[in-house]
Amino acid sequence: MSSAGGSNPEYVTARVRARKSALYGDEEYRKLVRMGPSEIARFMEESDYEVEINALGARHSGVDLIEYALNRNLARQFDDLLEWAGGRLYDLIARYLRKFDAWNVKTVIRGLYSDADREDVEDDLIRAGEFDDAVVDSLLSAPNIEEVVDRLSGTIFGADLDAAYEDYEDTNVLVPLENAVDRTYYGHLLDELVVDEATAQYRAFLEAEIDFRNARNALRLAQSGADIDPAAYYIDGGTLFTASGLASLSQNRDELVAAIRESQYGDDLSAALDELENAESLIRFERALDVALLEYTNGLGHVFPLSITPIASYILAKEREVDNIRAIARGREAGLAEDQIQQELVIL
Amino acid sequence: MAKDVKPTRKNLMAIEDRIELSERGHDTLEQKRDGLIMEFMDILEQAQDVRSELDANYETAQETLNMARAMEGDVAVRGAAAALKEHPEITTQSKNIMGVVVPQIESSRVKKSLDQRGYGLLGSSARIDEAADAYEELLETIILAAEVETAMKKMLTEIETTKRRVNALEFKLLPDLNENKEYIEQKLEEQEREEIFRLKKIKNKKEKEAAEAEAEAEAEEATATASADD
Repeated sequence: MSSAGGSNPEYVTARVRARKSALYGDEEYRKLVRMGPSEIARFMEESDYEVEINALGARHSGVDLIEYALNRNLARQFDDLLEWAGGRLYDLIARYLRKFDAWNVKTVIRGLYSDADREDVEDDLIRAGEFDDAVVDSLLSAPNIEEVVDRLSGTIFGADLDAAYEDYEDTNVLVPLENAVDRTYYGHLLDELVVDEATAQYRAFLEAEIDFRNARNALRLAQSGADIDPAAYYIDGGTLFTASGLASLSQNRDELVAAIRESQYGDDLSAALDELENAESLIRFERALDVALLEYTNGLGHVFPLSITPIASYILAKEREVDNIRAIARGREAGLAEDQIQQELVIL
Repeated sequence: MAKDVKPTRKNLMAIEDRIELSERGHDTLEQKRDGLIMEFMDILEQAQDVRSELDANYETAQETLNMARAMEGDVAVRGAAAALKEHPEITTQSKNIMGVVVPQIESSRVKKSLDQRGYGLLGSSARIDEAADAYEELLETIILAAEVETAMKKMLTEIETTKRRVNALEFKLLPDLNENKEYIEQKLEEQEREEIFRLKKIKNKKEKEAAEAEAEAEAEEATATASADD
């Protein structure tokens, strides 16, 4: 469907509830962590991933087969959501799923930049966003990056990419283009969002997504010690930081951690912040942010059962399932111990 | 070979000069060999440190890459890697350690800041940063290991060559020259003895001839005296 027409949360949430109940639970993960990659693929073939495993089985094998099947299944599931939803609900879902459009734009640009084969680039796409196949195929057939920017002129990414293209030409580094794509995605998350009782919590979720992204980036900048202007990486729309506040906090990691601790996310992230204070690595902290976001949306689904929130909760749970299965398969391939893999999983 | 040498005084002097030169060369080469061995031991220690650092860095890099591939996906990691075309620059110069020319490798643009890695900061994660960090660290150690291990191999080759030269002088050239010298000296002494003997012989012969001539003269005189008395 499209944003035209009436919103249909009753229908979509009913379908989503069925989909959510089919997601892997504790029991399945316990089995998966004991399996090798080929057994995992076989296990997936007997579940919701059958279509993708069978379709990709002739071209890929091992963990690559699992990863491509996961991505394709994710795309199919999210595409269905956009197919089912109409009116305002479509717009709310599409806001979040445009991150896959951003992913696809970046993948095509990277492919052209590194002279990769079209087939390889196509394999890496996740067609879960708002772009239909015609748009994605047109991007794939673009002969150079300039043409990609041109072909995106009618989309939300057009203006920002056009502005960043000059920087790219000057530096011959993809950073300006990639940042422009991601900034556009985050910039449009809260764009013209009409807030009522049901969407207030969805807005809070999107704000948390922006806050967490700002927190991650600020910590990464503080960690790197590089002479980079933090304001250039600030995403507007969150409640935790202001551009100038983040710029000064990025210079001092301790102050940044203290600011997060004192925020509304402080309680949820307290353990991760403790760990962050004692360790150099940001990885555990990033994982804690993912868990906090997932827990938050999981709770949202029960408050307004006929709104965007159960759908957002499903989207995050599905993404997490894909991440978990991939982590198990790649972890097993790399010879990681069961305990080590289990530590990385996020299961609610 | 001693038999090929003409036992002349000129050759003896030439051989004595060569022995002196070879002994001096032997001493110098021995000093060079000892010096090289000392330098080599220092480099060996450094090479061992670098090698163990390389092993540790490789382990870390592989582990962070595996974790990034597991948590972010292989596609995301490959994508981040594809966002950079620029390769690190490596220039080589040379330095001289006791006559051995060893490379000095300078690298630039190996370690990169977040905004130089090609991938956008807003859409990536700390796992990819850490994998990139670990591989940059590994690459720097590989470059250092290449420098130290090449120097070590060149030193080792030079030590071997010097050792062979010292041994050749000590066990082949100098013994041969000394043997030749002894041979010539013996021959010259023998020639001298022969000469003395010959001179003595001639002297004896001349003395004998003189005595005979004298006796003959005395006999003739006696005969002449006797005939005069008659």
